[in-house]
Amino acid sequence: MARIVGGFGISHTPSMGLEYDKGLAQGFSPRWQKWYDGTRGVKAWLERAAPDRMIIVYNDHLNHFDFSAYPTMAIGVAPEFRQADEGWGLRPFPSLVGDVDLGWHLTEKLVRGGYDLTVCQDLAVDHGIYSWLPYLMDLPWTIPVVPVAINMVRHPIPTSERLHQFGKDIRRAIDSFPGEDRIVVVGTGGMSHQISGARFGIANETLDHYFLEKLKDETEELVAIPQEELMRLGGTEAAELAIWFSMRGALSDKVKEVHRYYTFPAITGCGVVVYEEPA
Amino acid sequence: MSNSIPFNLDPPGTYLYTGQMATKGFKLTRFGLSLRDPANRERFLKDEAAYMREAGLNEEEIRLVLARDWTGLIEAGGHLQAMLKVAATVGQNLWHIGAHNAGMEVEELMRICPRTVSALPEGEK
Ligand SMILES: [Fe+2]
Repeated sequence: MARIVGGFGISHTPSMGLEYDKGLAQGFSPRWQKWYDGTRGVKAWLERAAPDRMIIVYNDHLNHFDFSAYPTMAIGVAPEFRQADEGWGLRPFPSLVGDVDLGWHLTEKLVRGGYDLTVCQDLAVDHGIYSWLPYLMDLPWTIPVVPVAINMVRHPIPTSERLHQFGKDIRRAIDSFPGEDRIVVVGTGGMSHQISGARFGIANETLDHYFLEKLKDETEELVAIPQEELMRLGGTEAAELAIWFSMRGALSDKVKEVHRYYTFPAITGCGVVVYEEPA
Repeated sequence: MSNSIPFNLDPPGTYLYTGQMATKGFKLTRFGLSLRDPANRERFLKDEAAYMREAGLNEEEIRLVLARDWTGLIEAGGHLQAMLKVAATVGQNLWHIGAHNAGMEVEELMRICPRTVSALPEGEK
Protein backbone atom coordinates (compact mmCIF):
# COMPACT_ATOMS: atom_id res chain seq x y z
CA MET A 1 0.00 0.00 0.00
CA ALA A 2 0.96 3.61 -0.46
CA ARG A 3 2.39 5.35 2.53
CA ILE A 4 2.91 8.82 3.92
CA VAL A 5 6.65 9.33 4.40
CA GLY A 6 6.47 12.75 5.99
CA GLY A 7 5.05 16.20 5.78
CA PHE A 8 5.65 19.81 6.49
CA GLY A 9 3.86 22.94 7.56
CA ILE A 10 4.91 26.16 5.87
CA SER A 11 3.84 29.81 5.70
CA HIS A 12 2.77 31.45 2.47
CA THR A 13 2.51 35.11 1.51
CA PRO A 14 2.39 36.99 -1.81
CA SER A 15 5.65 38.77 -1.02
CA MET A 16 7.41 35.44 -0.45
CA GLY A 17 6.78 34.61 -4.09
CA LEU A 18 7.54 38.03 -5.53
CA GLU A 19 10.73 38.26 -3.46
CA TYR A 20 11.82 34.89 -4.81
CA ASP A 21 11.61 36.15 -8.38
CA LYS A 22 13.43 39.35 -7.46
CA GLY A 23 15.97 37.41 -5.42
CA LEU A 24 16.91 35.10 -8.28
CA ALA A 25 17.18 38.00 -10.71
CA GLN A 26 19.12 40.49 -8.60
CA GLY A 27 19.90 38.90 -5.25
CA PHE A 28 17.69 38.60 -2.20
CA SER A 29 17.13 41.45 0.23
CA PRO A 30 18.69 40.57 3.61
CA ARG A 31 15.27 39.82 5.14
CA TRP A 32 14.34 37.34 2.43
CA GLN A 33 17.83 35.92 2.10
CA LYS A 34 17.24 34.55 5.60
CA TRP A 35 14.09 32.77 4.49
CA TYR A 36 15.79 31.48 1.36
CA ASP A 37 18.67 30.12 3.45
CA GLY A 38 16.29 28.77 6.07
CA THR A 39 14.41 26.73 3.50
CA ARG A 40 17.51 25.02 2.00
CA GLY A 41 17.20 22.22 4.54
CA VAL A 42 13.59 21.63 3.60
CA LYS A 43 14.48 21.44 -0.07
CA ALA A 44 17.22 18.91 0.70
CA TRP A 45 14.81 16.87 2.83
CA LEU A 46 12.19 16.87 0.10
CA GLU A 47 14.75 15.59 -2.41
CA ARG A 48 15.69 12.79 -0.01
CA ALA A 49 12.07 11.97 0.80
CA ALA A 50 11.49 11.62 -2.96
CA PRO A 51 7.69 11.64 -2.86
CA ASP A 52 5.79 10.17 -5.80
CA ARG A 53 2.77 12.32 -4.97
CA MET A 54 1.92 15.24 -2.71
CA ILE A 55 -1.25 16.37 -0.98
CA ILE A 56 -1.28 20.10 -0.27
CA VAL A 57 -3.84 21.57 2.09
CA TYR A 58 -3.83 25.33 1.53
CA ASN A 59 -6.17 28.25 1.16
CA ASP A 60 -7.25 30.35 -1.78
CA HIS A 61 -7.38 34.13 -1.33
CA LEU A 62 -10.29 34.96 -3.63
CA ASN A 63 -8.02 34.31 -6.57
CA HIS A 64 -9.84 31.33 -8.03
CA PHE A 65 -13.15 31.25 -6.17
CA ASP A 66 -15.33 34.25 -5.53
CA PHE A 67 -18.35 34.82 -3.34
CA SER A 68 -20.83 33.73 -5.98
CA ALA A 69 -19.83 30.30 -4.65
CA TYR A 70 -17.06 30.00 -2.11
CA PRO A 71 -16.50 26.40 -1.00
CA THR A 72 -15.73 25.73 2.65
CA MET A 73 -13.57 22.77 1.65
CA ALA A 74 -12.65 21.92 -1.94
CA ILE A 75 -10.42 19.34 -3.60
CA GLY A 76 -8.70 19.84 -6.96
CA VAL A 77 -8.84 16.84 -9.28
CA ALA A 78 -7.34 17.62 -12.68
CA PRO A 79 -4.27 16.81 -14.80
CA GLU A 80 -2.94 20.30 -14.16
CA PHE A 81 -3.56 23.39 -12.11
CA ARG A 82 -2.73 26.73 -13.65
CA GLN A 83 -1.37 29.69 -11.75
CA ALA A 84 -3.92 32.32 -10.75
CA ASP A 85 -3.42 35.94 -11.79
CA GLU A 86 -3.68 37.79 -8.48
CA GLY A 87 -3.96 41.20 -10.08
CA TRP A 88 -0.31 41.92 -10.85
CA GLY A 89 0.19 39.42 -13.66
CA LEU A 90 1.53 35.88 -13.78
CA ARG A 91 4.93 34.90 -12.42
CA PRO A 92 7.27 32.92 -14.69
CA PHE A 93 6.21 29.45 -13.55
CA PRO A 94 4.41 26.57 -15.23
CA SER A 95 1.20 24.93 -14.12
CA LEU A 96 1.29 22.35 -11.34
CA VAL A 97 1.01 18.72 -12.39
CA GLY A 98 -2.21 17.31 -10.98
CA ASP A 99 -2.69 13.86 -9.50
CA VAL A 100 -5.97 12.64 -10.93
CA ASP A 101 -5.76 9.10 -9.52
CA LEU A 102 -5.04 10.12 -5.95
CA GLY A 103 -7.46 13.02 -6.32
CA TRP A 104 -10.39 10.76 -7.15
CA HIS A 105 -9.34 8.21 -4.55
CA LEU A 106 -9.33 10.88 -1.83
CA THR A 107 -12.62 12.26 -3.10
CA GLU A 108 -14.20 8.82 -2.95
CA LYS A 109 -12.95 8.04 0.54
CA LEU A 110 -13.43 11.47 2.07
CA VAL A 111 -16.89 12.20 0.66
CA ARG A 112 -18.09 8.75 1.67
CA GLY A 113 -16.41 9.38 4.99
CA GLY A 114 -18.52 12.46 5.65
CA TYR A 115 -16.66 15.39 4.06
CA ASP A 116 -18.87 17.20 1.58
CA LEU A 117 -16.00 18.38 -0.58
CA THR A 118 -16.50 20.61 -3.59
CA VAL A 119 -14.65 18.88 -6.41
CA CYS A 120 -12.81 21.25 -8.75
CA GLN A 121 -11.85 19.89 -12.15
CA ASP A 122 -10.52 23.31 -13.06
CA LEU A 123 -8.63 25.18 -10.38
CA ALA A 124 -6.24 28.10 -10.59
CA VAL A 125 -3.81 28.13 -7.68
CA ASP A 126 -2.55 31.31 -6.03
CA HIS A 127 0.32 32.22 -3.70
CA GLY A 128 -1.08 29.73 -1.19
CA ILE A 129 1.10 27.24 -3.08
CA TYR A 130 3.03 29.25 -5.66
CA SER A 131 4.82 31.45 -3.11
CA TRP A 132 6.80 28.72 -1.33
CA LEU A 133 6.99 25.97 -3.93
CA PRO A 134 9.84 27.55 -5.97
CA TYR A 135 11.98 27.67 -2.80
CA LEU A 136 11.61 23.92 -2.37
CA MET A 137 11.49 22.48 -5.85
CA ASP A 138 13.54 23.02 -8.97
CA LEU A 139 11.87 23.15 -12.36
CA PRO A 140 10.47 21.22 -14.04
CA TRP A 141 7.86 20.38 -11.39
CA THR A 142 7.10 16.72 -11.94
CA ILE A 143 5.58 15.45 -8.69
CA PRO A 144 1.80 15.30 -9.13
CA VAL A 145 -0.21 17.09 -6.47
CA VAL A 146 -3.69 17.08 -5.00
CA PRO A 147 -4.53 20.57 -3.74
CA VAL A 148 -7.18 20.91 -1.05
CA ALA A 149 -8.50 24.43 -0.52
CA ILE A 150 -9.92 25.48 2.85
CA ASN A 151 -11.99 28.63 3.25
CA MET A 152 -10.07 31.17 5.32
CA VAL A 153 -11.39 34.37 3.77
CA ARG A 154 -14.92 34.63 5.18
CA HIS A 155 -16.14 33.50 8.57
CA PRO A 156 -17.26 30.97 9.58
CA ILE A 157 -14.17 28.93 8.67
CA PRO A 158 -13.77 25.20 9.43
CA THR A 159 -12.86 24.53 13.05
CA SER A 160 -9.40 23.46 14.14
CA GLU A 161 -10.86 20.14 15.35
CA ARG A 162 -12.39 19.51 11.96
CA LEU A 163 -9.18 20.27 10.09
CA HIS A 164 -7.18 18.05 12.43
CA GLN A 165 -9.63 15.21 11.95
CA PHE A 166 -9.56 15.83 8.20
CA GLY A 167 -5.84 15.12 8.24
CA LYS A 168 -6.39 11.89 10.14
CA ASP A 169 -8.96 10.83 7.56
CA ILE A 170 -6.57 11.67 4.73
CA ARG A 171 -4.17 9.24 6.39
CA ARG A 172 -6.83 6.53 6.53
CA ALA A 173 -7.63 7.12 2.86
CA ILE A 174 -3.97 6.72 1.90
CA ASP A 175 -3.90 3.34 3.66
CA SER A 176 -6.23 1.99 0.97
CA PHE A 177 -4.50 3.61 -2.00
CA PRO A 178 -2.99 0.83 -4.11
CA GLY A 179 0.69 0.68 -5.03
CA GLU A 180 3.87 1.41 -3.13
CA ASP A 181 3.95 5.15 -3.63
CA ARG A 182 5.57 7.56 -1.21
CA ILE A 183 3.37 10.47 -0.28
CA VAL A 184 4.16 13.80 1.40
CA VAL A 185 1.43 15.89 3.00
CA VAL A 186 1.76 19.65 3.25
CA GLY A 187 -0.26 22.13 5.29
CA THR A 188 0.26 25.77 4.43
CA GLY A 189 -1.07 28.92 6.01
CA GLY A 190 0.35 32.22 7.13
CA MET A 191 1.54 32.41 10.73
CA SER A 192 0.94 35.56 12.77
CA HIS A 193 -0.19 38.44 10.58
CA GLN A 194 -3.01 40.83 9.91
CA ILE A 195 -3.35 42.73 6.67
CA SER A 196 -6.31 45.02 7.27
CA GLY A 197 -7.55 47.32 10.00
CA ALA A 198 -5.45 49.47 12.31
CA ARG A 199 -3.77 46.32 13.65
CA PHE A 200 -2.14 45.87 10.24
CA GLY A 201 1.38 44.52 10.62
CA ILE A 202 0.97 42.80 14.00
CA ALA A 203 3.78 40.31 14.58
CA ASN A 204 3.59 37.84 17.44
CA GLU A 205 6.76 35.82 17.07
CA THR A 206 6.26 34.43 20.57
CA LEU A 207 3.00 32.86 19.46
CA ASP A 208 4.54 31.47 16.27
CA HIS A 209 7.46 29.86 18.12
CA TYR A 210 5.04 28.44 20.66
CA PHE A 211 3.00 26.92 17.83
CA LEU A 212 6.05 25.38 16.14
CA GLU A 213 7.24 24.03 19.45
CA LYS A 214 3.96 22.32 20.32
CA LEU A 215 2.67 21.15 16.97
CA LYS A 216 4.33 17.74 17.02
CA ASP A 217 3.56 16.38 20.49
CA GLU A 218 1.04 18.76 22.00
CA THR A 219 -1.24 19.03 19.01
CA GLU A 220 -4.43 18.62 21.01
CA GLU A 221 -3.50 21.56 23.17
CA LEU A 222 -3.08 23.78 20.10
CA VAL A 223 -6.23 22.45 18.49
CA ALA A 224 -8.15 23.39 21.64
CA ILE A 225 -7.19 27.08 21.36
CA PRO A 226 -10.23 28.97 20.07
CA GLN A 227 -9.54 30.42 16.63
CA GLU A 228 -10.65 33.84 17.94
CA GLU A 229 -7.80 33.61 20.44
CA LEU A 230 -5.27 32.92 17.66
CA MET A 231 -6.66 35.91 15.75
CA ARG A 232 -6.73 38.17 18.80
CA LEU A 233 -3.10 37.46 19.64
CA GLY A 234 -1.57 36.82 16.23
CA GLY A 235 -3.78 38.82 13.89
CA THR A 236 -6.86 37.76 11.95
CA GLU A 237 -4.88 35.86 9.33
CA ALA A 238 -3.20 33.75 12.01
CA ALA A 239 -6.39 31.68 11.79
CA GLU A 240 -4.70 30.07 8.78
CA LEU A 241 -2.53 28.17 11.27
CA ALA A 242 -5.50 25.81 11.61
CA ILE A 243 -4.61 24.41 8.18
CA TRP A 244 -1.36 23.07 9.65
CA PHE A 245 -3.47 20.73 11.80
CA SER A 246 -4.50 18.77 8.71
CA MET A 247 -0.86 18.09 7.91
CA ARG A 248 -0.18 17.06 11.52
CA GLY A 249 -3.28 14.86 11.58
CA ALA A 250 -2.14 13.03 8.45
CA LEU A 251 1.09 11.96 10.17
CA SER A 252 1.56 9.41 12.92
CA ASP A 253 2.57 10.08 16.50
CA LYS A 254 5.92 8.45 15.76
CA VAL A 255 7.20 11.23 13.52
CA LYS A 256 10.55 12.82 14.07
CA GLU A 257 11.05 16.56 13.59
CA VAL A 258 13.87 16.91 11.09
CA HIS A 259 13.85 20.61 10.30
CA ARG A 260 12.49 23.86 11.70
CA TYR A 261 13.03 27.46 10.71
CA TYR A 262 11.35 30.75 11.53
CA THR A 263 11.84 34.40 10.60
CA PHE A 264 9.68 37.50 10.27
CA PRO A 265 10.67 39.28 7.04
CA ALA A 266 7.99 41.94 6.80
CA ILE A 267 4.28 41.37 7.34
CA THR A 268 3.90 37.67 7.95
CA GLY A 269 5.58 35.22 10.26
CA CYS A 270 7.44 32.81 7.99
CA GLY A 271 7.92 29.41 9.49
CA VAL A 272 8.43 25.87 8.34
CA VAL A 273 8.59 22.58 10.20
CA VAL A 274 9.29 19.17 8.68
CA TYR A 275 8.26 15.82 10.15
CA GLU A 276 9.47 12.47 8.92
CA GLU A 277 7.89 9.09 9.49
CA PRO A 278 10.14 6.26 10.67
CA ALA A 279 11.27 4.09 7.73
CA MET B 1 -3.23 55.92 15.72
CA SER B 2 -0.13 54.97 17.67
CA ASN B 3 1.88 51.80 17.34
CA SER B 4 0.14 50.17 20.30
CA ILE B 5 -1.87 47.18 19.19
CA PRO B 6 -5.00 46.18 21.09
CA PHE B 7 -5.63 42.49 21.74
CA ASN B 8 -9.22 42.54 20.60
CA LEU B 9 -11.03 42.01 17.33
CA ASP B 10 -13.02 45.26 17.30
CA PRO B 11 -12.95 48.11 14.76
CA PRO B 12 -10.96 50.09 13.87
CA GLY B 13 -8.20 47.64 14.81
CA THR B 14 -9.90 44.75 13.09
CA TYR B 15 -12.75 44.34 10.62
CA LEU B 16 -13.65 40.69 10.89
CA TYR B 17 -14.95 39.44 7.56
CA THR B 18 -18.27 37.88 8.52
CA GLY B 19 -21.24 36.77 6.45
CA GLN B 20 -23.00 40.08 7.08
CA MET B 21 -19.95 41.98 5.83
CA ALA B 22 -19.88 39.75 2.76
CA THR B 23 -23.53 40.55 2.01
CA LYS B 24 -23.01 44.27 2.51
CA GLY B 25 -19.94 44.31 0.28
CA PHE B 26 -20.97 41.69 -2.26
CA LYS B 27 -20.88 43.98 -5.30
CA LEU B 28 -17.80 45.81 -4.13
CA THR B 29 -15.93 42.55 -3.68
CA ARG B 30 -17.18 41.21 -6.98
CA PHE B 31 -15.99 44.41 -8.69
CA GLY B 32 -12.52 44.13 -7.11
CA LEU B 33 -12.19 40.50 -8.14
CA SER B 34 -13.17 41.31 -11.72
CA LEU B 35 -9.79 43.04 -11.91
CA ARG B 36 -8.06 39.64 -11.77
CA ASP B 37 -8.61 39.73 -15.53
CA PRO B 38 -6.04 41.91 -17.36
CA ALA B 39 -8.64 42.99 -19.96
CA ASN B 40 -10.87 44.29 -17.16
CA ARG B 41 -7.94 46.09 -15.56
CA GLU B 42 -7.41 47.91 -18.82
CA ARG B 43 -11.08 48.83 -19.19
CA PHE B 44 -11.24 50.04 -15.59
CA LEU B 45 -8.21 52.27 -15.98
CA LYS B 46 -9.70 53.88 -19.09
CA ASP B 47 -12.76 55.12 -17.21
CA GLU B 48 -12.96 54.08 -13.58
CA ALA B 49 -16.38 55.51 -12.80
CA ALA B 50 -18.02 54.08 -15.91
CA TYR B 51 -16.57 50.64 -15.23
CA MET B 52 -17.83 50.73 -11.65
CA ARG B 53 -21.29 51.92 -12.64
CA GLU B 54 -21.49 49.02 -15.05
CA ALA B 55 -20.41 46.73 -12.19
CA GLY B 56 -23.45 47.92 -10.24
CA LEU B 57 -21.66 49.91 -7.53
CA ASN B 58 -23.57 52.73 -5.88
CA GLU B 59 -22.35 56.33 -5.87
CA GLU B 60 -20.89 56.08 -2.36
CA GLU B 61 -18.88 52.98 -3.28
CA ILE B 62 -17.64 54.66 -6.44
CA ARG B 63 -16.61 57.70 -4.43
CA LEU B 64 -14.65 55.52 -1.98
CA VAL B 65 -12.75 53.85 -4.81
CA LEU B 66 -11.99 57.12 -6.59
CA ALA B 67 -10.73 58.54 -3.28
CA ARG B 68 -8.61 55.40 -2.65
CA ASP B 69 -10.33 55.36 0.74
CA TRP B 70 -9.18 51.86 1.64
CA THR B 71 -10.53 52.04 5.16
CA GLY B 72 -13.95 53.18 3.96
CA LEU B 73 -13.97 50.38 1.41
CA ILE B 74 -13.22 47.76 4.01
CA GLU B 75 -15.91 49.22 6.30
CA ALA B 76 -18.29 49.00 3.33
CA GLY B 77 -17.66 45.25 3.11
CA GLY B 78 -15.08 45.19 0.34
CA HIS B 79 -12.94 42.12 1.08
CA LEU B 80 -9.28 42.96 1.63
CA GLN B 81 -8.20 40.47 -1.03
CA ALA B 82 -10.54 42.13 -3.53
CA MET B 83 -9.52 45.66 -2.58
CA LEU B 84 -5.94 44.51 -3.06
CA LYS B 85 -6.73 43.87 -6.73
CA VAL B 86 -8.02 47.44 -7.00
CA ALA B 87 -4.88 48.76 -5.33
CA ALA B 88 -2.62 46.73 -7.63
CA THR B 89 -4.50 47.99 -10.67
CA VAL B 90 -4.02 51.64 -9.72
CA GLY B 91 -0.35 51.21 -8.87
CA GLN B 92 -0.70 50.87 -5.11
CA ASN B 93 -0.17 47.86 -2.89
CA LEU B 94 -0.87 46.25 0.46
CA TRP B 95 1.23 48.86 2.28
CA HIS B 96 -1.00 51.67 1.01
CA ILE B 97 -4.08 49.87 2.31
CA GLY B 98 -2.38 49.09 5.60
CA ALA B 99 -1.13 52.64 6.08
CA HIS B 100 -4.58 54.07 5.38
CA ASN B 101 -6.11 51.59 7.84
CA ALA B 102 -3.50 52.34 10.49
CA GLY B 103 -3.76 56.10 9.95
CA MET B 104 -0.15 56.72 8.98
CA GLU B 105 2.08 57.31 6.00
CA VAL B 106 3.36 54.30 4.08
CA GLU B 107 6.98 55.05 4.98
CA GLU B 108 6.10 55.28 8.65
CA LEU B 109 4.24 51.96 8.59
CA MET B 110 7.09 50.26 6.77
CA ARG B 111 9.50 51.65 9.33
CA ILE B 112 7.59 50.27 12.34
CA CYS B 113 6.74 46.87 10.79
CA PRO B 114 6.90 44.19 12.01
CA ARG B 115 4.83 45.63 14.88
CA THR B 116 6.03 43.18 17.46
CA VAL B 117 3.77 42.05 20.25
CA SER B 118 4.30 39.14 22.57
CA ALA B 119 1.47 37.15 24.06
CA LEU B 120 0.36 33.57 24.40
CA PRO B 121 -3.09 32.00 24.80
CA GLU B 122 -4.69 32.20 28.24
CA GLY B 123 -2.76 30.42 30.91
CA GLU B 124 0.43 29.94 28.89
CA LYS B 125 3.74 31.55 29.65
FE1 LIG C 1 -3.02 32.79 3.30
